Amino acid sequence: MCNQNGGNNCFEYVDSQMPRVPLQLVVNGEKVIEFVDPAMTLLNFLRIQLKLFGAKEGCGEGECGACTIIMDGHTVNSCLVLAVEAQDSEITTVEGLSKNGELSILQQEFINNDALQCGFCTPGMLMSARNLLDRHPEPTVEQIKEGIAGNFCRCTGYQSIIDAVISAAKREREELI
Amino acid sequence: MLSKYDYFKPDTLEKALEYLEKNSETRILAGGTDLMLLLRKDAVSCEHILDIKDIPETKILSYTPKVGLFIGASIPVNRIAEDDVIRGVYPALCQAIDGLASFQIRNRATLVGNICHASPGADTSAPLLVYNAKVHIASIEGVRIVDIANFFTGVKKTTVKENEIVIGVSLPDVEQGDNSIYLRKARIKGHDLCNVGLAMRLTSKKEMYVAMAAVAPIPLRLTELEKTIGTKELTSELGPWIQEEIKKYMDPRRNSVRSSREYRFHIAGVLAKRGLLNLLEKEAK
Ligand SMILES: Cc1cc2nc3c(=O)[nH]c(=O)nc-3n(C[C@H](O)[C@H](O)[C@H](O)COP(=O)(O)OP(=O)(O)OC[C@H]3O[C@@H](n4cnc5c(N)ncnc54)[C@H](O)[C@@H]3O)c2cc1C
Ligand code: FES
Ligand code: FES
Repeated sequence: MCNQNGGNNCFEYVDSQMPRVPLQLVVNGEKVIEFVDPAMTLLNFLRIQLKLFGAKEGCGEGECGACTIIMDGHTVNSCLVLAVEAQDSEITTVEGLSKNGELSILQQEFINNDALQCGFCTPGMLMSARNLLDRHPEPTVEQIKEGIAGNFCRCTGYQSIIDAVISAAKREREELI
Repeated sequence: MLSKYDYFKPDTLEKALEYLEKNSETRILAGGTDLMLLLRKDAVSCEHILDIKDIPETKILSYTPKVGLFIGASIPVNRIAEDDVIRGVYPALCQAIDGLASFQIRNRATLVGNICHASPGADTSAPLLVYNAKVHIASIEGVRIVDIANFFTGVKKTTVKENEIVIGVSLPDVEQGDNSIYLRKARIKGHDLCNVGLAMRLTSKKEMYVAMAAVAPIPLRLTELEKTIGTKELTSELGPWIQEEIKKYMDPRRNSVRSSREYRFHIAGVLAKRGLLNLLEKEAK
């Protein structure tokens, strides 16, 4: 799956050379059929094989949430999932949030509220926020905090992110009316 | 070393057990939130991954009044905590789940994986101990049922053998008036293993059960403490007593990365007092 790179605490994907296995799934609405390394993580599959560079590897250990994607309606840390475990599943990554080249309301509100600086956490943060709004269209601040607790941001201090989620929730509700 | 393994996801228990018999160096995969870390760090060797999430027996989550709760080995903990009936009957279990890792980890992490990994601080262990949970363990010889109190054998060690698969955990039903609480203290709120995890249960017969995580090599049920409590009248005056008394039953690690022994002793006392008062207060209502 991963190999310790020259003894540094830096991991990169190394082909396990194991026989490839067929994998069929839906990613951002599109059917994907590929052969994969059984020891490859879902995160590496998305990034290396599908060239979807939205989801990031921050820690590779489930701590930071930069790799968060939505799998069959649930947020997961894609660094802790094997690609082969995603057989027949439906996956949404940050690339799937915009429609016809237009950013989603949630993404627009992240920009309007300055909810990002370096942006490394943003793809994962957006997926946790998206899933939170799907579960709680009118979230309380506590629910927002709980919903993004698995996503570390080292830049913003979180307040602007919370503000962005609140404004997005409001706009999304208004658009429903 | 490079992790090299193939992947097998059988759809029956028989196929899974046969595979285990035939292939040594197999690791069972449930949610993967512990196993993937071990593989990444090359902390375990492994040639085969056996994904149990298609085995029908492991996909059961059911509560039957008068019988109890069965939690299959493939059920992620969020599924348990989201069930209002289960939350009402086994509050300490759901509170322990609420405090385990982050939301997205809880979407994958299973309760059975939590106890099979057998970290001394496994959050779900203490509530399972106060509910006298039973672990259902299958091998080609059949299914054996082990009391949770006999399940843990050491730090990250359990009674599960290499050719066995845990199919699920069952909790007996409780009587009307039963109540419980789980309290944990971690370095930061949320998203950190606990320094002390404490489950307390007050049964309808006014028996107090107490179990703790992260204060000894294995999660502990404090049966001696329970007996002593049984000889006393249950009032809020027991608070300061239990705060001191509970320390006698702990053996926390000396060189832990998370906290000193002294800190764990102190926090355990505070949590025990808080838990006791909370249960008595609820009972008074
Ligand atoms: C960022 C992070 C934070 C965490 N925080 C907490 C926390 O606060 N509290 C806490 O208690 N834990 C925590 N954990 C640990 C972990 O999430 C839990 O222990 C989880 O419940 C493990 O379940 P799983 O399904 O992911 O197990 P897996 O990783 O799939 O398996 C764990 C181990 O058990 C074995 N196993 C799994 N299922 C079976 C079975 N049916 N039969 C036999 N063996 C089996 C596996 O082979 C493996 O050795 C955290 C983990 C991460 C990554
Ligand atoms: S990269 Fe997956 S949680 Fe950090
Ligand atoms: S914007 Fe830099 S980590 Fe969040």
